[in-house]
Amino acid sequence: MTKFFAATSALTLGIASAAFAADAPSKADVLTTYANIAEAKYDDSLIAAKSLQAAVNALIADPSDATLNAARAAWIAARVPYQQTEVYRFGNAIVDDWEGKVNAWPLDEGLIDYVDANYGGPTDENEFAALNVIANPSFELSGATIDASEITPELLGETLHEADGIEANVATGYHAIEFLLWGQDMNGHGAGAGNRPYTDYVQGDGCTGGNCDRRAQYLSAATELLVSDLEWMASQWAEGGEARAALNANEAAGVSAILTGMGSLSYGEQAGERMRLGLMLNDPEEEHDCFSDNTHNSHYYDGLGIQNVYLGSYTRIDGTPVSGASLSDLVIATDPSLDAEMKVKLANTMQALGRLKSTAEAGFAYDQMLERGNEGGEVLIMGGVDGLVDQTKTIERIVAALKLDQIEFEGSDSLDNPDAVFQ
Amino acid sequence: MRISAFALAFTLPICAHAQDRGPILANTVESHILPGYAALADATGALKQAARADCDPNSAQLREAYNTAFDDWISVSHLRFGPSEAEDRAFALAFWPDSKGFTPKALSRLITDEDSAVQTSNSFAETSVAGRGFFALELMLYDPRFSDQGSAEYRCALIQAIAADIDGNARAIGTDWSDYAAVLTNPGGGSPYRSEDEAMQELYKALMTGLEFTAETRLGRPMGTFDRPRPKRAEARRSDRSLRHVELSLISLRDLAARLSAEHPEIAADLDSAFSSAIDRAQALEDPAFADVATPQGRFRVEALQQSINDIRTIGATELGPTLGISAGFNSLDGD
Repeated sequence: MTKFFAATSALTLGIASAAFAADAPSKADVLTTYANIAEAKYDDSLIAAKSLQAAVNALIADPSDATLNAARAAWIAARVPYQQTEVYRFGNAIVDDWEGKVNAWPLDEGLIDYVDANYGGPTDENEFAALNVIANPSFELSGATIDASEITPELLGETLHEADGIEANVATGYHAIEFLLWGQDMNGHGAGAGNRPYTDYVQGDGCTGGNCDRRAQYLSAATELLVSDLEWMASQWAEGGEARAALNANEAAGVSAILTGMGSLSYGEQAGERMRLGLMLNDPEEEHDCFSDNTHNSHYYDGLGIQNVYLGSYTRIDGTPVSGASLSDLVIATDPSLDAEMKVKLANTMQALGRLKSTAEAGFAYDQMLERGNEGGEVLIMGGVDGLVDQTKTIERIVAALKLDQIEFEGSDSLDNPDAVFQ
Repeated sequence: MRISAFALAFTLPICAHAQDRGPILANTVESHILPGYAALADATGALKQAARADCDPNSAQLREAYNTAFDDWISVSHLRFGPSEAEDRAFALAFWPDSKGFTPKALSRLITDEDSAVQTSNSFAETSVAGRGFFALELMLYDPRFSDQGSAEYRCALIQAIAADIDGNARAIGTDWSDYAAVLTNPGGGSPYRSEDEAMQELYKALMTGLEFTAETRLGRPMGTFDRPRPKRAEARRSDRSLRHVELSLISLRDLAARLSAEHPEIAADLDSAFSSAIDRAQALEDPAFADVATPQGRFRVEALQQSINDIRTIGATELGPTLGISAGFNSLDGD
């Protein structure tokens, strides 16, 4: 009886674990969900950018407080889906190579338009930090004379962006548009965002800030470029697109790409570069959306993007759900407790980022939190940083548990292709 | 024959899984980490005293104490975890690269405002990391822009405050390591390291990130591109320390690599010979601040040095990591 029972138990256990293993989704299905969510997020970003473009056109056609505020609101809305795509950056070369065009930051905004006298002029690092292309139809760049008499998407994307090889020369993307809608935030650590007047877009008499025609041209060209860049990326994730093909070329590498994107965004980029650094420098300009004071949202939606990629479930901006087999399902099949740990940590991070967001929305702006000696602000920001650092530890554990350890070394130019550094 | 092959196949993964990492963890902590931080704290104590005795930027004693302490920091600067990360200590000791010029800005602001934060160590520790540490002190001692800004009294107080803050941070790291040593060598339980594998990963990550930083940042930043070299981006170029940092970091990373590969003599030999060529190349260079990257010849030599460091990284990634059964995980250089 005892023997029989033991045998049965063993058999049952065997069956149970077999059934359990059968519940594991295929890696291919997990990758399909991941790509579907990318497609939905970039498509949402495109739709929102088109709304922004319509609002920008209305502002240029009829500058007023109302049209300027509508354009600002459209920009804020456009950031919601876009920030959720950032989790795709570091794992997918096609995204990372392209990303600088749309979301480069931080920027030396004096390249684009007028700035306050305290901004300073050219720096050791950047001769063009105060170029002001809106005021200068012609200028010298690396020995050549540039004709900027007409500000076109080509001029911005091909000549001005990263001029002189300097990353802070950001001429395109969300943050260039943000600067053109809000202007510099002159409030330091005080409350309030940039306060560019709508009259900066008034044509003829009443124009403030000078060169209103060129400013309107710039804003229109930058928005047009944002739309076309997002159009391109959305199509890379559509059925038959290159991003999808690259992801599916090797299933294990594809799953590793998901984790690389989650971990690199959590740790080096968001916790480090975007959050902790600003706090350590006590600099009100060191916030991701510094002109609009929208940084709390930018951090929140970055975190949300990491979470919804892991869970394999995203809700589109029109409410349509996109979901399927997830990385979480894959981890459950290997180590359910590790999946539970990941879910708890992602939820902790979202709670911390949610606290940051709700406090900022209640009137305690992100640049106030960065002030020297502001203990409440430090606790709020470090709450997010700690959550992100902690979740990275679990992401590393998942890499080990799924035995993806050595895969990340693929695709590193300097390691795989020593000659690349000479190119 | 068949049986032994089967037995081998069956045994190997279990062996690999059960690698006892205890001796390597203990050895690395006792012979690499703790002595490194002890030397640093001695040197920063001397720096603090030297600044107190004579705050003249041209004082030979002050500059010597500064250079010795900076050497000792570079030799532990790859150990970016645990005590060095608490309270932003490592950032406050060495804020670099500084691509937006935060350090000169922070110093100018302190001097212009005659900020009273320099009066106590607690209030100075609240100020921006960019105005503290070895790179801030470098500007105060070696950059003519800061030799006559504001009043001499304030500059003196600032130099003394930076030196004392450096010492405070170095000591705090050293003190915390007396507890953290047990955390790293006895994983599990209350330790943030769940297993010896995770503790080992921390050390392996320090090795790989240290190599990456030296190759990509210490060398890569001044190299820029062939058409647009950036000699002014060299680390600590005003005190002519750029090349020295590369050499010191390689010497220290070689020591760490030897300890991590101790149980795998072939890999240890590969690593050691790769380190040896890289260090030889560094020592053969006669370009302390990488000013020559602006010439094709000079650039070529620095590029060759970078390549020799990348050769070490390849061995670390393709031989050491897989043999130890660990990966480098995520590091702070992963962002953009």
